[in-house]
Amino acid sequence: MNTQHWPFDTVLVANRGEIAVRILRSIHAAGLRGVVVYHAADRLSPAVTEADVAVEITGDTPVAAYLDGAQIIQAAKDSGAGAIHPGYGFLSENAPFARAVAEAGIIFVGPTPEQIELMGDKVRARAFVEKAGFPVAPSAIEDDDPATFVERAREVPFPILIKPAAGGGGKGMRVVRDPANLETEIERARSEGQRYFGDGRLYVERYIENPRHIEVQVLGDSHGNVVHLFERECSVQRRFQKIIEETPSPALTPELRNTICETAAGIARSAGYVNAGTVEFIYGEGGEFYFLETNTRLQVEHPVTEQITGVDLALQQLRIAAGEALPFKQDEITSHGHSIEFRIYAEDAAAGFTPTTGPVLQWTPPQGEGVRMDSGIAQGQAVTAAFDPMLAKLIVTGEDREQACARADQALRQLILLGCKTNTSFLRQVLNHPAFISGDVHTGFLDAHPELASERELDETTLNKLLATAAAMTRPMRDIADAVPAMHAAMGGWRN
Amino acid sequence: MKHGFKFKDAEYDVGLSRSGDGYRLHLNGQTWPFTLHPGEEGNWILSSQNGGRTVIDHLAVAVDGDDVHIHLDGETHSLRFEHALERLAQLNEAGAADAIRAAMPGSLISLSVATGDAVKKGQTLLVMESMKMETTIVAPRDGVIAEVLVAAGQTFDKDAVLLSLESQDEDNEQ
Repeated sequence: MNTQHWPFDTVLVANRGEIAVRILRSIHAAGLRGVVVYHAADRLSPAVTEADVAVEITGDTPVAAYLDGAQIIQAAKDSGAGAIHPGYGFLSENAPFARAVAEAGIIFVGPTPEQIELMGDKVRARAFVEKAGFPVAPSAIEDDDPATFVERAREVPFPILIKPAAGGGGKGMRVVRDPANLETEIERARSEGQRYFGDGRLYVERYIENPRHIEVQVLGDSHGNVVHLFERECSVQRRFQKIIEETPSPALTPELRNTICETAAGIARSAGYVNAGTVEFIYGEGGEFYFLETNTRLQVEHPVTEQITGVDLALQQLRIAAGEALPFKQDEITSHGHSIEFRIYAEDAAAGFTPTTGPVLQWTPPQGEGVRMDSGIAQGQAVTAAFDPMLAKLIVTGEDREQACARADQALRQLILLGCKTNTSFLRQVLNHPAFISGDVHTGFLDAHPELASERELDETTLNKLLATAAAMTRPMRDIADAVPAMHAAMGGWRN
Repeated sequence: MKHGFKFKDAEYDVGLSRSGDGYRLHLNGQTWPFTLHPGEEGNWILSSQNGGRTVIDHLAVAVDGDDVHIHLDGETHSLRFEHALERLAQLNEAGAADAIRAAMPGSLISLSVATGDAVKKGQTLLVMESMKMETTIVAPRDGVIAEVLVAAGQTFDKDAVLLSLESQDEDNEQ
């Protein structure tokens, strides 16, 4: 990387967990100073340890602290930060925050507030994309005429999907198969939308059966250049949330891959898009695809793209924010190998993916060829219900999909987190399922295979090993054993 | 009453005795000899017999109070020690006031009852949010709300007591 002049020497990361650590890595790679804000609950987190400066923020709840734009902007001013990187979630797609950052004379590492508003509002984004000549699914939009919304929703071919207009991350989304339930489900979705996004407006669209979720990474600079960095397939989901993402998609032919990636770049180009973004599509069994939404930020699953293209996306975001032109043209971006990301969640898959909590007593990330671990946890921390249950991401890359899968299974076996139950065992079940092995999955795959989430029966030997170890590690049991001489025990004086 | 371990949904009566340089596990009338030694880098080496051959496993183990967490052969398991005296005491606690516990961590969205309210089985007690979904908690039986331990907006961990319920009859007798 050639030396470049940065208009800022310090960047504040307005986020926590693994993504704060990830962004700090690129800030440091650029030779810049990295500041993080943190709530007291994250005092022992790696982001705080690895930042050059960590500024405490407060709130009624830990999450509220990370949503407090004014406090974060003040922390940036106090610490001399000339730019704020919002990461994903929290304030990353909040246009008023992006505007307030700019008004404070600080550079927002992301698109313009206008682009966030356009693309963040699913309804407006959809209308924009349709008008620009790109494919969207049949739908009914409440805002068009709220009085007739239910009737119009009923006319969209069932099954349909209800979505909050301001939504994301699967929150408040509901599939309706029976028109009789439509009104009840609309009310539920509205209540959830109101609570999560402060916006109860909805829209419905046709629900594509057995769809795949395929998205395309784009980068745009402030000089009018837009490129794509190929697709990611994110079809393995539970409750509309991605858990395994990979690139390239096993579903696409080279021709389709090119078409869908060029469509995404075309959408971003039409919007004059600046910085990193992701254009999401729903992909049907017949090869048809429709625009879903655009995420105007770095995605959770961005590392798989980095692994196969060799491009540091967070670093490119900083360069774009600094006004630099993209250092490559479309035909200079190549993809090599296959990369898969596994989201490590604190959750009990067998109990319906309910979140789990507990102390992090031991944390040993896996190592090996092609293994990347983006983690935000540290031994001695506790996993609480205060934040999203995603703890870390395991990214495994190989020359081809088969090698990536083989390495992934080994890495998931090696990963040790003691004290809080995680989904690693479940992820291995999915990884070794014939449908996943052949790349034949859709977003309903996990719902269709609930047995993947169930606890496996243990054989007698394994049970003995566990109980023996547990007994020998438990003080009151060891004390009794040590107090009774072995000879007496052997003679039967000590009986069980 | 013997010492035991709770593992998944089952309880195991377990004994431990010394044998030479190791221990014996006593379970279901059978004994199972083994040794457990610390290895390098904080792991543990479990040595046991299978079909006349010695088998060695490398484990990661962490103990947190009564909880023992074990990583064995690519899988993590958690067992909870139950002291013989506590197990005995638990037998006598049956019939105490019902605690309505959180089946999962989450936060309280709204409360539909207050202390002293009489409730019918199936009646909504509260709405909680977990996993980005709303869940309604209903009364498991008829009774009277004895105590409310959460407020709207408050977050809680799994197994936290949210409400306690006493029986209608008790209340009438007072």
